[in-house]
Amino acid sequence: MSKATSIWEKLGFRKASGVSEAGWGQTLFAGIISLIYFLPVLLIIITSFKLQTEALSIPPKFMPTNLFGLIPDAYVFSPTLENYTSVFSRAMTSGGVAENTGFDRYFFNSIMIASVSVLLALVIGTLAAFGFSRYPLKGNDTYLFVILTTRMLPAIVVIIPIILMFRVTGLSGSYLGIIMLYTAFNLPFTIWMMKSFFDELSLDVEDAARLDGSSGLKVFFKICLPQVLAGLAATFVFGLILTWNEFLFALLLTGIDTRTVPVAMSQAVAGGGIGVLWGLLAAIETLFLIPVFFVTFFLQDHLLRGVTFGTVKR
Amino acid sequence: MSAITPTTPVPGLFEIQAHNWKLAILVGLIVSVLSMFALPPEAAFWITGAMAAMVAAAFVVNAYRRHYYGGLLVAPAIAVLFVMNIFPLLWSLGLSFFAYQSNQQTIRFVGLTNYTKVLTDSLKAPENWANLTNTAMFVVLTVTAQMIVGFLLALMFAKQFPLRKYLLILVLTPMMLSVVAAGVFFSYYYDPTFGLLSYFIRLFTGEQFILMDNKAGAVAGIVFADAWMWSPFVMLLVLAGLVSVPKYLYEAAAIDRVSGWRRFWSITFPYIRGLLMLALLFRTIEAFKMADLVILLTKGGNGTMTISYHLIRIANEQNKTSEGAAISYVMLFIVIVLTNLYLYIANRRTEGA
Amino acid sequence: MTAKTKLQGLATAAGFALALFVGGATTASAEDVTLHMAVPDWPPTRIMKKYFDEQYKPPSGNKVILDVDFIPWPDFYTRVNASLTSGEKKYNMSVADSQWLGAFVEGGYFRKVNDYIEADPALAKTMADIHPSFYNAYSTYPYTSKNIYGFPQFPDVLVTYGRKDILCDAGEQAAFLAKFNSKLPCTGEEIDAMDWTAFENVGKFFQRKKGEMLAGKPLDDDFYGIAFQAGKGYDFSSMQINGFIWQEGGDIWDETKIPDGKAEGVVNSPQAIKGLAHYLSLIQYMPPVAKTGTMDIFKSDELFREGKVAMNIDWIGLGEASLDPKTSKVSDKLVFGLPPGTKGADGKLVRWNNLGGQPFVFTTWNSDLQNKEGMEFVKWWLSPAIQNQFAAGGGQSAVKSVYSDPKYVTYRPWNRAWAAALDWQKDVWHVPQFFELLTQQQDQFDLAITGKQDAKTTLDNVAKFQQDLLSTAGLIK
Repeated sequence: MSKATSIWEKLGFRKASGVSEAGWGQTLFAGIISLIYFLPVLLIIITSFKLQTEALSIPPKFMPTNLFGLIPDAYVFSPTLENYTSVFSRAMTSGGVAENTGFDRYFFNSIMIASVSVLLALVIGTLAAFGFSRYPLKGNDTYLFVILTTRMLPAIVVIIPIILMFRVTGLSGSYLGIIMLYTAFNLPFTIWMMKSFFDELSLDVEDAARLDGSSGLKVFFKICLPQVLAGLAATFVFGLILTWNEFLFALLLTGIDTRTVPVAMSQAVAGGGIGVLWGLLAAIETLFLIPVFFVTFFLQDHLLRGVTFGTVKR
Repeated sequence: MSAITPTTPVPGLFEIQAHNWKLAILVGLIVSVLSMFALPPEAAFWITGAMAAMVAAAFVVNAYRRHYYGGLLVAPAIAVLFVMNIFPLLWSLGLSFFAYQSNQQTIRFVGLTNYTKVLTDSLKAPENWANLTNTAMFVVLTVTAQMIVGFLLALMFAKQFPLRKYLLILVLTPMMLSVVAAGVFFSYYYDPTFGLLSYFIRLFTGEQFILMDNKAGAVAGIVFADAWMWSPFVMLLVLAGLVSVPKYLYEAAAIDRVSGWRRFWSITFPYIRGLLMLALLFRTIEAFKMADLVILLTKGGNGTMTISYHLIRIANEQNKTSEGAAISYVMLFIVIVLTNLYLYIANRRTEGA
Repeated sequence: MTAKTKLQGLATAAGFALALFVGGATTASAEDVTLHMAVPDWPPTRIMKKYFDEQYKPPSGNKVILDVDFIPWPDFYTRVNASLTSGEKKYNMSVADSQWLGAFVEGGYFRKVNDYIEADPALAKTMADIHPSFYNAYSTYPYTSKNIYGFPQFPDVLVTYGRKDILCDAGEQAAFLAKFNSKLPCTGEEIDAMDWTAFENVGKFFQRKKGEMLAGKPLDDDFYGIAFQAGKGYDFSSMQINGFIWQEGGDIWDETKIPDGKAEGVVNSPQAIKGLAHYLSLIQYMPPVAKTGTMDIFKSDELFREGKVAMNIDWIGLGEASLDPKTSKVSDKLVFGLPPGTKGADGKLVRWNNLGGQPFVFTTWNSDLQNKEGMEFVKWWLSPAIQNQFAAGGGQSAVKSVYSDPKYVTYRPWNRAWAAALDWQKDVWHVPQFFELLTQQQDQFDLAITGKQDAKTTLDNVAKFQQDLLSTAGLIK
């Protein structure tokens, strides 16, 4: 396995995986496409630095500075951090004093609930995927399909039984309840995804190891798992993203103490006697983007290194 | 699989053995469903919980006796799914045979009435079918757009080039947005007075541009936003497949002077087929459930009403739980048929390859 | 604080201390009572919670805690509905829309409170002081019956928001007079006197393109004369259309006539069709977003705050944002008046409109102690001192002795229209089928607003659906 050794490789200037290379021309091309693709997000981030009265200006104000007079003033806004402080503390009544909005708690909840449930789903789901891949049960496909079916119904249909169930068990409004629910919510995708990675692995090495007397457990941890690290990373990222932004279950099953950001966010959509607070909504979204953005960024390295374990495939 | 050598004979379906998990599932299901019909929800819940535990135990014993790692490995996942997903699913399936509104205390068995009402009632059925047609349209349009855009993006990133990881993360960001924020901001981008789309078109035409005042425009707006958000999902899956193709295969192909198309078809495609299928499957399932963006952008106006949004209105706003459950099971049936078709085609390809 | 309230405060404090002392000396007669309350997250409820924490002293001497769950508005119904119907029994009190009463009363979730009111003459007196429009809409179910369920939390009506700087501009005034041979309304009184024709003229007159002149300055963006709600979501067109229908002498299905009322023939009467057609004819003068069916109360308010329209009809509940320079570009240019009326046969304006705002209610699973403490809280909340304070801090009051006090109009600029508007308020249906009626009607109105069908077809469809639904439900014979 080639390890990135120089700072250049870390920055992505050298190839670090088993894929073909292209030069700066590709960078330029991909750069343009990526920036266009990113534009709607960029506009949200820019809006987060605007006052409410500047957010909807025509022509759109998209520059925080006039670049020494290069940009006409009509396109320049005066950047402010007010929206960011407002996320956590602002006056909830006109002319009132600033009070805590609870968003510190909501951010903690989102991070806690999403990370624990995705990790749990990853552990349980990977084991199951390995089982489905290597030790097929009779009617394996049927089980897999039933698991998939659980994702097919709109959440609104199962919500009434789940609310009843949570009430009976006292799970409503607790961390445990919503974490278990999200774990189940993530399992189908985790199992299907990890199974497709396990299926792709060559069996020769495993069989050889088994003949050498390695236990199933050892084969799993020492041989299979390292080969699907990329898959684990991708699955983790997907699970995190889906859970991070889940709305309906969170709305109905979290209490005021366990409320997550996507639910609390609508405070800025039609909140305090006003429609959308554009700057505030953008600031909440930008802050909310940061953790999952960086997790993805750091796992991406892993994800893109590809399956470079010294196995001959196929 | 050669590694498995059963030491205990497989029990018959009705043989009472601690490791007869099939019987456990059968009994568990029957008892659970019966208890749901016959007992108050609280008792039904605990009984079903006990049944789930029994099934899990049977799995474990079976696996242990037979050195059957598959069962052991799968058991925790099945247990979690059963309690949190399958059980509520069965519960709402049960409810679909009753006349039940969640804001009323009465419940009455009506058999298939809800289903016939949903499918044939002169007032309700046309609306349901229209919503279903709209949903099908959205499924086809959004999933096609996502697959194409996602695949092209993946091809773009499949090669190593400077700054790749920094550009890739930019493309991945849209799917990290919360749907609420994305939807609200797209309604701003599309707004004829304040929106950027209208602003740029006005630079050329001098007129404010109203995107969403007709069906084509409203659908285009929703499909664009949805495809923009979820193409990265497809891209990431395809990319994970693409980078797993060993480089030496390409090198060998280069020596043999294999054409680009054949190289893709015979070397690359087998590596991404599974993941491509997975992307297609999951995006189709999600597209069938599309409601949030419709609510945020059009409220279902201009012919963009989807069955899922309709369901939210029926089951949530109007509290018609049973009717909602019936609609969703009709929908589930359609999705199952569709996904089976996918899987059938996928499997045939695998066998053919 | 006046000397009198100070004295009262002292007396309460002394009583409280005494109760504590006596309680401590004998047994624990002072109890902790927690009232869990579901409220939408916005200033009127935040203010209520603040006043409670700062000022409320329960006369019983118990320690009363108001545990408020602030739920964002867009999800408020979903959350409350799920909590109530799942039997979670979490909330003892809840803010609700008046229209939800039927669904939750019939389901057994909202408690009839006549017994507590009869047991407390002071509370009964307070109830009698609530304006009948709000009393009927917020408190009674069936509508206008003797059963009492709710109390006003934030009462609301539609008012006209106007731009003084444009409406009062001398050049515009002269041009308007020349064009329509009538004065362009500029003051609050002149806006009060407007009928829909005058409103339409304002719409026609101020429809200007980018670059044209407005009040002596070239426009940097298109400008529009009028805006009001015409959205597909929730009740964001019905609330306006009902007013048009009532003003023309038409009616919606009348729930007070159960079971003799009819939908067909009433809902699609010629007057009702005329009202809807009138409403639809004004949409062309509104900002173009109206053509998409997403012109809800927030959108028209936003367009007004951003300075894109001269006049907007909207709820008072959104008014604070217009006054605040942080959220409004027109905060210093505002004038408020009654919404337009329709000239009747006698030449006087008929002004019927749909009321808004929210009551709060009690749930059925409360203990007697919780209900008693809750009632004390209601009495305190509706007391003139607190209602005045609430109105001064950004709320509205439905209590006669409060809003008829001369100082009431000084609290907010729109309060000059408040008392006059109240007598002209009616409400939509409160029956359990409310959401079904509303959803179908909103869908049909949306088709008309986006130009896909005419007023007659629309109301025929609505009438047919309502006749069918309501006769199945046994509300129509």
